[in-house]
Amino acid sequence: MKSLLGFVVAAVVLSAVAFMLGSYQTDIYRKLLLWTTLALSYNFLFGIAGQVAFSHFTFYGIGAYAILILLFQVGLPLPLAVLAGIALCVVLALVVAIPATRLEGFYLALATLAFAQLFIVVLNEGRTVTGAAGGLANYRLPDVFGVRVTGPWYTVVIVLLLLGTLAVLWRLDRSWFGRACRAVRDNPEAARAMGVDVARTKIIAYTITSAMAGVAGMVYAFVDNTVNPPIFGLPNSFLLLFMVIVGGSGRHAGAIIGAALLYLMPFVLSPLIGHHHALVFGVVMVAVVLFQPKGLIGLWDALMARRRAA
Amino acid sequence: MNDFLELVVGATASGCIYGLVALSYLLVTRPTGIINFAVGEWSMVAAFGGFMLLSRWELPYPVGMLVVVAAMFGVGWATERFTVRPLVERGAPPLAPILALLGMLVVFRELVSLGFGPDPQPVPPSFGFGRLELGPLAGSYQSFFIITMAGAVFGAAWWFFERTLAGKSFEAVAIDRRAAALMGINLRLVTSLAFAASAGVAGLAGLLVAPNVSAHYLMGLPLAIQGFTALVIGGVGRVEGALLGGLILAFAEQFTVRYAPVPPGLAMGVPLVLLIVFLLIRPTGLLLPREARA
Repeated sequence: MKSLLGFVVAAVVLSAVAFMLGSYQTDIYRKLLLWTTLALSYNFLFGIAGQVAFSHFTFYGIGAYAILILLFQVGLPLPLAVLAGIALCVVLALVVAIPATRLEGFYLALATLAFAQLFIVVLNEGRTVTGAAGGLANYRLPDVFGVRVTGPWYTVVIVLLLLGTLAVLWRLDRSWFGRACRAVRDNPEAARAMGVDVARTKIIAYTITSAMAGVAGMVYAFVDNTVNPPIFGLPNSFLLLFMVIVGGSGRHAGAIIGAALLYLMPFVLSPLIGHHHALVFGVVMVAVVLFQPKGLIGLWDALMARRRAA
Repeated sequence: MNDFLELVVGATASGCIYGLVALSYLLVTRPTGIINFAVGEWSMVAAFGGFMLLSRWELPYPVGMLVVVAAMFGVGWATERFTVRPLVERGAPPLAPILALLGMLVVFRELVSLGFGPDPQPVPPSFGFGRLELGPLAGSYQSFFIITMAGAVFGAAWWFFERTLAGKSFEAVAIDRRAAALMGINLRLVTSLAFAASAGVAGLAGLLVAPNVSAHYLMGLPLAIQGFTALVIGGVGRVEGALLGGLILAFAEQFTVRYAPVPPGLAMGVPLVLLIVFLLIRPTGLLLPREARA
């Protein structure tokens, strides 16, 4: 009950912010919310289920492209297109996960890396379906029950997406399934001995989080009203991984901190170092792995522990 | 037929480059279990070293090459010393050094882009631009030079691992770290040397491929992926596997581009499909590691 109240307060506050921003800040705010959503679901996949996959941002792209193709080329109405898009993400995630989660450790990363690169190749060669290198543009969100959702109201949709994602992951994390995921991450043999179906746990975790990334992608498609292959390339996949690690993998709060920090950092740094903020990302990443393996949230924990001791 | 043989020479040369990058992965992975994605960036750094020494300062080719490869040994050693060793000594989970090296990948790339800008820079080939015909086989001087150098490196690596005591100690570490340490093998030294040699080999590959693709700050990741695909095809257990995997990959790639009726853009997907297929069907690669002998 208390957590429900927390979600309602968060929804009201985050939505209220949307009505106070100019168009430039709105763009930054929306993307911050989307990155946070992605970091949260990737945190579940990487931090809690322990799968190093580079395909998360690819499913974001699959969701974005799928909703556009289903709406404007297949001609489905919006609710059906959303359902079909989710179904497509689930099917693709299963196709990747069922064979790939058998792979040990870093081999999963490589298989998903190849899958991510293959997606870019397909986008570039998709002719009029994917718009090739130029991508898709010149479209807008169809009316929902005769209402045009634009401006701050679309930002509210993104807020609800973020909180919905967080709520689902929160519940999952605290269920038997979340504990099974952590057990599989820490020690698969012991988990198996305790009766956890390791393969099935991995596949379900991968599929749920990938479908969540796909839904976020569907929402993203109407933020810029244009999608093209470079957006969904490897640099952003790496950035997502860095966000989760810098913030503190395995912790929801860590994912939120990491996403906010790394997404906003370029805006602060650009006046100082131009567009070389990727160098800072790399340095921060190495520094965190070396000196603060629990991420920035670990610093907070240490501070709290010291205050309690004092 | 001439066209075919020319393609064979070109594909063999590319295969040798992929094989060298694969060997660079293998040198680190065998004794430590670490997959180092930054090998592609090492090649990139060496290509820019080649640009500085050979194009800008116009040093003679052998001198420039020696200096670049020697400097890359240093880069590899330093990378291990400052990003991997602290983690290993702290007993961090096996994923930690891999992630630290992934961060280093970005650091290397952005440092080079900061220093040299985003434009491609020329690196000269060893014997100038020209065509060599050996009977029916014809190709550029550089292609034959690449094949010769790769042959020498793989010959040396094979001799080192199969015929010398130091090489056997690497193999021992690969088979069982703890047992090797108990036998008095210096794990630290083996790891340092593995990283240094790995960077040297990756650097050589970068220097050799640079005349064809120019030195560019984004050239690393494609090489890293191709090299890795070669490694997975050939198998992580044996030096010969790296070369075999590189050759299979290069031939599959270039023959698809030349003969298969698919658009060239889709042909870029061939190595990726090959990687996925091998990971799923035969993740151990074609050549299996030798069993530990009593």
